[in-house]
Order: sequence, then C-alpha cells, then structure tokens
Amino acid sequence: MPGLSMRQFRAILKKDIVMELRTKEMITSMGLYAILTMVVYQVALAEAGENFDVRLVMPGLIWVAFIFMSMLGLNRSFVHEKDQGCLDALLLAPIDRPVIFLSKSVGNLLFLLVVEALSLPVFAFLFLQGKEGIGNPIWMIALVLFGASIGIAGVGTLLATISVNTSGKDIMLAVLFVPLEYPLLRAAVGATFAAVIGGPGTMTAFWGWMAWIAAFDVIMVAVAYGLYEFVIGA
Amino acid sequence: MKKRSMLAEIMLVLGGIITTVALLMAFFWAPASLYPDGRVDFAQKIFYFHVPVAEASFLVFVFTAYYGIRFLMTKRREYDTKAKIATEVTLFFVLLTMATGILWTRVEWNVWWQWEPRLTTYFIMTLLVIGYFVLRNSVEDEEKRATYAAAFGILAFIDAPISFLITRFVQSTHPVVFKSGGLETPMLVTFIIAQVGMIMLGYAFYQLRLQQEQLRERLDALKISVGG
Repeated sequence: MPGLSMRQFRAILKKDIVMELRTKEMITSMGLYAILTMVVYQVALAEAGENFDVRLVMPGLIWVAFIFMSMLGLNRSFVHEKDQGCLDALLLAPIDRPVIFLSKSVGNLLFLLVVEALSLPVFAFLFLQGKEGIGNPIWMIALVLFGASIGIAGVGTLLATISVNTSGKDIMLAVLFVPLEYPLLRAAVGATFAAVIGGPGTMTAFWGWMAWIAAFDVIMVAVAYGLYEFVIGA
Repeated sequence: MKKRSMLAEIMLVLGGIITTVALLMAFFWAPASLYPDGRVDFAQKIFYFHVPVAEASFLVFVFTAYYGIRFLMTKRREYDTKAKIATEVTLFFVLLTMATGILWTRVEWNVWWQWEPRLTTYFIMTLLVIGYFVLRNSVEDEEKRATYAAAFGILAFIDAPISFLITRFVQSTHPVVFKSGGLETPMLVTFIIAQVGMIMLGYAFYQLRLQQEQLRERLDALKISVGG
C-alpha cells in the first residue's frame, strides 16, 4: 500500500506544519535561542581583540548553536504530541510505525533547515561585517547544513521519542544526543571550515568531510529507522 | 547452573593469576622499549595493562549490542539483564582504560589530557556507556526501560566505530601498536598473555555479576509471591 502510506505520511507532516504555522512556537523558540547564543558568543569573544579572525572559529560556533537549538526543537516536537495525547492517537490509528518516523523526521528536518537558514545570515551580519569574506561558494555551506541536518533530525527523532518518555526529558535528550552525534558534528565543522576558509586544497577536504556526513546519515538514520518500531511501541 | 558457576570462579582465579604473571613478565622479562635517542622508555610498561583492558572493553561492548538485538527480537527479560551486565563490565573496563591512559599521557606527552583523536573518541565512548545507565535509571516501566536501553545500546555500538574511523581522518599522535614490525617477540608474548588473562577476567566478572543479578530477580519474584 505505498499510496496509502504516502497519504498518511503527508497527513502527519501537514498536521505538524499547520500546527507550527498557527502557533509559530518551534520556529520562534529555536530562532530566539540561536540569537541568544550569538549574544553569548559576543561575550565569549569580547576580549579576543579586533584582529582576531572570526572565520577560524565560525564553523564551531554555528554548529554549537545549531546542535543546542535542534535539541530544543526535537524535544518540543514530542512534548506536544505527548501532552495532548496526539501520540497515543497516532499509535491507535492503523499507520505503519516507519511512516510515523519518516514524517516526524522530515518535519523536524524542515523546521531545522528554516531556522538554520534564518540564523546564518544573522551570524554573518553580527560577526563577519568588515572582515574577510567566505572563501568558497555559498552553496557549499548550504550543502553541509542540509547533509548534517538529516543526521540530526533522523537520529534526533528516535532519541526524542525515547527521552520524552523518561523522567529527565530535556537533559536526557542531551545525554544521549550529543555523544551519538559527535562524528556528524566533527564532520560538519570540518566541511564548514573548508567552505569558509577557501583556497587550494579545501575542495578535497570538503568532499572528504561530506563523504563522512553522507556515511553517517545513511548508516545511523537507517538504524534509527529500524529501531523506531520497537521504541514507539514500548 | 552449578557447573557454570564453578567455571566463572575458575576463570576469575586463573585470569587473576595470568594477568599478574603478565605484569611480572612485563617488568622482568620483556625488554625495555627505547626512545629514538636511546633512553629507556619505562612508561611503556603500562602498555601491558592499558591495551588489554581497552580491547577487552570493546569485546564486552559487543555483547551489549548483541543482547540488545536478542531482547528486541524476543522481548525476553533475561536478555535485557545480560545486556545490562555486559554494559556494566564495559563501564568498568572503560574507566580502567581511561585511568591508565591518563597516567601514560602525563608521563609521555607531559599533559593529563589532550584532545587527540584516539582520546577524544574513547571519551565519547565513555559518555555513551554512562548515558546508557543514565537512561536506564530514568525509566520506571520495566519493558520500556529494556527497549530503550536496547535501542540506545545498538546505536551506541554502531556509533563508536564511526567515531574511531572519523578521527583516523585527522592526524593522530596516539601510538599504533600493530603496525609492521612493531613489537619484539618477548613483548608480543607478554602482551598476548595479558590479553588472554584480561578476557578471562571479563568473562568471570560478567558471569558472576549475572548470577548475582539473576538471584536478585528470583528473590524479588519470591517476595512478591509471598505477598511482601
């Protein structure tokens, strides 16, 4: 029944998007969180001096912001479902569990990409003005964002489903999420660095890191997909 | 049941003797390793403890994932208990590896800690193993706890090698032991004996702890049936 699954997938995704468009809760809280992180960065770099090359730490800074922001969003996306009993209803409905996983992951991926696309120009506006520009074409950064966000949303959806059922909730998601995402984050920072700095040799490094991101996405999201049925049914 | 219990105890004693013998061999038989400038590298002796423990930790971690899969397939509680005990032994070995590794880095690199690829990834693995127990402790319902722990154990087991591989992509200063012609024969023999002893100890810890846990579960069941 691929046609039916597709309709179920679209229905769940649409529900999440409509709810977000009405409440604007995830986008605003994640976006605000990203801006607040940048205020903290200003404090962190306050004594670094005028000649400090922000581009050297920029990949790390933006991924720190994105990883914490994504945890906030992932948690939200399931706290809602749980508090309002929507998750129970979804489980009662005759929907294949993998369909729930895919639609929730894609929804999380969309929100994540929107906030990332909004907050990256803000970062450039606040920190990169009057400095040396980005060395390589901008599409490279977009590609890293897209690739790494798949891994964050895919694995994160499984972990958020687990953590929402524990007594720790937010802190539990962080404890499980950060070490599991370590390889992805490392590759994302590597690839972003290659894209930001530019110059000879950075293209090879960039594609090397992108291959790692792709490998992580394929392996870890496939495993998360396979485990989801057990986790959500427990 | 009785026979298995004896095997675990025999392995415990034998493993203890063998690792001790290996440690004595390391100091009195295996030749000293030399720095390129000819000075004696005494700190290298920790290699006969550090590496066997580290490798035993990976080996036991395999069983966390294996019993996790078995649990998800069958939903039988005994596999959850086995996975939990395997992770406990992993945690024990991981902490020993960390402690001995840090001592070695202090002597050899002059720092307690360095964000060197191998250290970084082992630190990540430590966090994953600790996370496994934090997760277990925060779920009340028994079946949920077992399922979540199994899922996380499997994910962590797949994630750890990716971490190790990805840092190989970057330059590492951690010694690679088994590159071509790395060890002299007496060193290799000592190392292998230490490794065998450590695996026996790992098996013994696992079995004895498992028997203890199974006994506790039976006791709990008895208490409930009596009406306590």
